[in-house]
Amino acid sequence: MIPVTEVPAPALVLDESPTRAAAPAPVHSNPNTRVTLGASCTIQEAVALRSYLLAQAAQSGPLEIDGASVQVIDTAGVQLVVAFALDCLEKGVAYKWLSRSETLEKAIDLLGVGALLEYPA
Amino acid sequence: MSLDLTQFHEIFFEESFEALDSMEAALLKLSAGEVDAELINTIFRVAHSIKGGAATFAFTEVAAFTHVLETLLDQLRSGKRQVRPEIVDVLLRSGDAMRAMLLATQHKEAIDSAGVAKLRAELDRIMGEAGTAAAAPSVAAAPAPAAAAKAGAPAATPGWRIQFIPGVDLLRHGNDPLRIIRELSSLGKVRVSVDAARVTSLSTIDPEVCVLGWKIELLGEIDRAAVQNVFEWAETECELSIERMGGEATAAAQSAAMPAPTSTPATEAATAAPHADEPQHPPRAESAARTANADGGSIRVSIEKIDELLNSVGELVITQSVLSQLAAPLEGREAGELRSALAQLERHMRALQESVMRVRMLPISFVFNRFPRLVRDLGQRLGKKIELKVTGDSTELDKTVLEKIGDPLVHLVRNSIDHGIEMPDVRVAAGKTEHGTISLHAYHKGGNVIVEVTDDGGGLRKDKILKKALERGLVTNEVELSEERILNLIFAPGFSTADVVSDVSGRGVGMDVVRRNINELGGHIQIFSTQGQGSTIRIRLPLTLAILDGQLARVGKEVYVVPIVSIVETIQVTRERVNAVAGGGQVFRLRDDYLPIVRLHSLFDIDPDHTDLLDGLLMIVEADGKRVGLFVDELMSQQQVVIKSLETNFKQVMGLAGATMLGDGRVALILDIPGIITRFQSPQERGLQTPRAA
Repeated sequence: MIPVTEVPAPALVLDESPTRAAAPAPVHSNPNTRVTLGASCTIQEAVALRSYLLAQAAQSGPLEIDGASVQVIDTAGVQLVVAFALDCLEKGVAYKWLSRSETLEKAIDLLGVGALLEYPA
Repeated sequence: MSLDLTQFHEIFFEESFEALDSMEAALLKLSAGEVDAELINTIFRVAHSIKGGAATFAFTEVAAFTHVLETLLDQLRSGKRQVRPEIVDVLLRSGDAMRAMLLATQHKEAIDSAGVAKLRAELDRIMGEAGTAAAAPSVAAAPAPAAAAKAGAPAATPGWRIQFIPGVDLLRHGNDPLRIIRELSSLGKVRVSVDAARVTSLSTIDPEVCVLGWKIELLGEIDRAAVQNVFEWAETECELSIERMGGEATAAAQSAAMPAPTSTPATEAATAAPHADEPQHPPRAESAARTANADGGSIRVSIEKIDELLNSVGELVITQSVLSQLAAPLEGREAGELRSALAQLERHMRALQESVMRVRMLPISFVFNRFPRLVRDLGQRLGKKIELKVTGDSTELDKTVLEKIGDPLVHLVRNSIDHGIEMPDVRVAAGKTEHGTISLHAYHKGGNVIVEVTDDGGGLRKDKILKKALERGLVTNEVELSEERILNLIFAPGFSTADVVSDVSGRGVGMDVVRRNINELGGHIQIFSTQGQGSTIRIRLPLTLAILDGQLARVGKEVYVVPIVSIVETIQVTRERVNAVAGGGQVFRLRDDYLPIVRLHSLFDIDPDHTDLLDGLLMIVEADGKRVGLFVDELMSQQQVVIKSLETNFKQVMGLAGATMLGDGRVALILDIPGIITRFQSPQERGLQTPRAA
């Protein structure tokens, strides 16, 4: 066996604790019918947000989506909400919006996805 | 027999862009108050040369505009008109317009005729001042399309129709369509229609790939350049078309005024040229004369030919390495002579390889040259007085590295101008000079090129960074961070917040993207800052991307190359430091951290010698601030390897940066650590999603 070698390392930068890396929590789960979007819905939280929305879309509904807390959102976040809304539509899981923060409203408006996020009455 | 002029188009464009660079450099010197006849002559020659070439090739709109510019320059040259800042400013913008026109012509796109007409009107106004009878003569043979459109076409709604379809890596590289559309909305009224046909179900969607697309109408009298500028960071990563609204009328006007360059015979081109009484200069002849004068003779060789040469040399290096290995076990006098000859061959091969690599090297001035303009324009816009100092701009770098370092450097310099250098009154109050200084410094060090961006501004506020990092949950109160680590927090993804984002440097491309870009080049970025005194960002870059310093690691019968720049350390595992986590994974406790363990044999589905962690080795590797432990059977030697593209020879595979041939003739795959980490985090195969029915 070749002995262990110490290789000169580049200066280290930010450390991430495993707990943070393993479980970013952009959303607060509610086992009932409420889907609550967290303060930050960006590409950084996209994987966790998708898991959360997947779980919520599996419920029988009707669902209430609360977007009041959203402070930062990017296209990745909006796209996941669109995919969630379309999933709900396909499965016939009714949903309605409780509220949307100004940031979320603006992002929806700029990206032109407003119509995709409304469950038909 | 008519000569096919289209074969010279690319050379004309290339030379014109280079000429415009030198025109801009001369104009910036004029702007700094250095008025000298030779500078004005240089600028005049550029305009004259481009006008001549454009007319020859029947790029009539370019020729007509350049002619007006040339008339003004002639007035400056003959002393009929004095150089003043307003004129320099218009000339700089004219250079931009010429570049945009040439680019549009090169890519067979519509020229922003409205923008050109506006600028031409400004030139006319300047020339009309003080009764100078120097108004631009009209171009009888080829009226400017803008004018034609103005005269004949009905007034359509001004604006742009944009189709924007993001590519696979757009989001991952920090380009956010939301930011792009927001920026467009700051230029004029936008009407957005989204295409969600590619959005798959949540269970299959890749959360980091944008599958939405947009059709956008941007209304208002807006320069094409301004629209293009919004897509500046994203244009290589998306499908983009920008068309003037009411395009039919504009297109008709243009096609009437400008014969299609590809089908124009030489004779027609000559008659279409403005001012046929003036001698026209074919660009090749003039440029050849200029080149001969400038550097004593050189030839233009396409980069593909050089890459072919480099590739062949790489193959030779591998063959030579195979020969050396075959000769190693031989014995006897002849074997000794063979080895000696092979050693000589190796020396020659290295020399040859270095020579060929040098052909691909270009001075970093190719990148640095854009900064005088950037600093001038942004400084003026922000009301800051900034001097730019450039040193070491003849330091040479591989062309590919050079092309990729441009955007990160622009971001860093913008940051320095926007956030670093203080307003003049603040500087004076702090006992500093009114003028701030930004320095760009490049130099060679230990087989690398170091580029430093330094400003003498306010420096980074560590307390503010820490506060923001705490708010964002990037760090916790319990851990006391060193100064270096606090500064490095600015590279953390998602660190940028509203109060540090402006339209100058906060373009949605954060420092995390800058660091990622540098890391992708195999480079490294460091930051030094003293509050009140300024900051320095130091970037270490490899000289080339064709060769890599690698650590060979074996897993079963396979040998992998791990880029040394990604390796933090290598350790033997002890059982008490390994913990199982939910979902079947394992983490390794390294001092105060827990690192996920990536078993290469599982990832690549191969048979290892060892599956028990205690029997193998854990290589701690890092990318984008994330670290994992790669479990391998054993480490082998460290060596420089010639990188062969997988994409060209096979296909792109996530987690692999390429392949190389080892001395014994075996192929070894080169690991792409950021890709390995991503692949480990989301193991489902990409690209298997079924699009949702529209």
